[in-house]
Amino acid sequence: MGLRGNAAIVGAAQYKPEKYQTAPQMFHLEQVADLAHKALVDAGLHKSDLDGLVINGPHFHEASVFVPAMAAEYLGIEVNFAEVVDLGGCTAVAQVWRAAMAIEMGLCQAVLCVIPARMAPLGPTEDPAWMAQAMRFGGHSTAFGAPEAEFDLPYGHMGQNTGYAMIAQRYAAQYGYDNSAMAKIAVDQRFNAQYHKDAIFNGKSLSIEDVLASKLVADPLHVLEIVMPVAGGAAVIVASKELAARAKKRPAFVTGFGERLSFKSPSYAKEMTVTPVAEAAKRAFAMSGLTPKDIHAAQIYDCYTITVLLSLEDAGFVPKGEGQRFIKEHNLTFKGDFPLNTHGGQLSFGQSAAAGGYSQVIEAFDQISHSAQERQLKSCDNMFVSGTGGVMSEQGALILQGG
Amino acid sequence: MATSKPMPLATKISAPFWQALEQNELHIQQCNQCAGWVFFPRNHCTHCLAHDLEFKPVNGEGTLYSYTLTRIPTMPEFSDEMPQALAVVELSQGVRINTTLIDVAESDIKIGMAVKPVFDKVSTDGKTLLRFTSADNPGGVREYLDPLLNLERNEKGQVKVPVDNLSALYALADNTFTQWSNEFIVDQTLINDFAALSGDDYWLHTDVERAKTDSPFKTTIAHGSLVQVLQSRLTIALPFEIVGFQTMVNYGSNRLRFPAPVPSGSTIHGRSKVKDISVSHKGVQLTLEMNIHVVGNDKPSVINDLVILYR
Repeated sequence: MGLRGNAAIVGAAQYKPEKYQTAPQMFHLEQVADLAHKALVDAGLHKSDLDGLVINGPHFHEASVFVPAMAAEYLGIEVNFAEVVDLGGCTAVAQVWRAAMAIEMGLCQAVLCVIPARMAPLGPTEDPAWMAQAMRFGGHSTAFGAPEAEFDLPYGHMGQNTGYAMIAQRYAAQYGYDNSAMAKIAVDQRFNAQYHKDAIFNGKSLSIEDVLASKLVADPLHVLEIVMPVAGGAAVIVASKELAARAKKRPAFVTGFGERLSFKSPSYAKEMTVTPVAEAAKRAFAMSGLTPKDIHAAQIYDCYTITVLLSLEDAGFVPKGEGQRFIKEHNLTFKGDFPLNTHGGQLSFGQSAAAGGYSQVIEAFDQISHSAQERQLKSCDNMFVSGTGGVMSEQGALILQGG
Repeated sequence: MATSKPMPLATKISAPFWQALEQNELHIQQCNQCAGWVFFPRNHCTHCLAHDLEFKPVNGEGTLYSYTLTRIPTMPEFSDEMPQALAVVELSQGVRINTTLIDVAESDIKIGMAVKPVFDKVSTDGKTLLRFTSADNPGGVREYLDPLLNLERNEKGQVKVPVDNLSALYALADNTFTQWSNEFIVDQTLINDFAALSGDDYWLHTDVERAKTDSPFKTTIAHGSLVQVLQSRLTIALPFEIVGFQTMVNYGSNRLRFPAPVPSGSTIHGRSKVKDISVSHKGVQLTLEMNIHVVGNDKPSVINDLVILYR
């Protein structure tokens, strides 16, 4: 079942995360073309090689329907495979495996996977307040008939923070909670970010004391355990084995993937502290033939520190309930014995909306292709990447391997 | 009475749930095919997908599945609940409900604790939210407490609402009009004076003879903008006074309409209501809908949504 490992990430492009107020404003179509060009240059491939497109649908500025056709037309390409992915922070991982699958099915040979996440310029009649208004309810629908509008918002249940906080509280009740272990996730990742010049927190060190002294947002989460939203955007080129042989860099073959969507609100999970990545990772490892012990670095989606803890446990890197002890006993930096989010994670790199998930995918590719500069791991053949959308609602796992 | 917090809008599917809450009962759905319990209300069973769910009364006893205390409000409108005790309760039927805990001290909140429902009346017309409290507490009904009830009054008898008392501010937006103001006559002399002042001397306002034949109203009419400013001649007894602010700014108007003419010689009067209260980093924004009518005419001659910013 699954992939044979005949498709690989061969090139990538990623905007440096920047504050929304100061980031360049570009139409999303323009970002798609710009990121596509940069990723093709990175791969050493040409526009004429592209025959597939996977793009984000929600929040695409210039269209809400017919997004792939509009983007393909703007790029001047015709494709045999076009897809919109709507999985929040899991979108990046989900785009990559869909591209790999289409290639292995023989539909196409090179797929552009792309998420623009810089703001578009406002039209002369557009009100900047509109954006703030649109963002007010976060990922919560306010549509008539939307269950969350009717049963969550009137009670003040809104946004991601409190959902993740409630998951953490339940974890604490079941397994205990060690604030300093949780803070260490952010601290070790911040160390890594000091070696990635594009990271939003490059040049700003962090201690466990800093994290624990930062403002509580919703018990037990401190503000420094929560990602900072930034402007950005990213693309990768996924190509067939044959094309990959022509690429400039060492390809990262997609040898396993899994995806699991379990709920929208974690309140309705079968068990809130058993996250969907458990099923996704099990499938991904089985497909690739690897086990967690074979992984040289784990690039774990990290919207919150609690996401990392639960993902490490549920993906099989450490038994359930032992994650905090594991975190304290291991050096999680790229210099350590368990390299985790070697680019700093989104907690230190910045979260560019759904494109934030690409920071993990692209770091895995950078490690495999020996492009990680000062952060380069010696053992860098087998990478695990996870993606998380909503409030642990939907998660994906990728196994990437150097060939 | 209205609140500026988001309120549930019942659908055809969910209406029995909300109606039961108003009767201080909790009704949730059970499947007639597979006996599975379901929450939130739907038309199809989440266990077997049969279209055969029936609302059944339950006692609402359950346990606390998880919770968090917020240190930053999830929405500005909830600033009066800090810290919000957001909770997930698991009923003995196995379904979970997003809610808030009330009347439990922070240190007494424990995951797994037994809880019972509180039917919280959040408006004078009986709208009810389902909250939970410790099983050791009385539970039952929490009556609507008018946040304006115990506030001081000024010498005019107006209730004094501190600008930082959010629940009292929200309670002002109750969608009811004040009493009518005093009356005021808009005569031709006043209209002529306004024409001279503003430079708008269009015949429809000033030429009494021509208006008799050419005007659709068979008479001259007052300028809409004249009637608008005449609000200063009308004393409207607002039932409240906002106090404790640094500055009060007239922010302009969100809406200005002149739906009906004011023929020369008409007597006008006005009334107003608080249309909206919103809180943002800019301060407290009060939208006051001011209506001016010709006495006896149901259709207003001026509708003006005045926006006043307090900070």
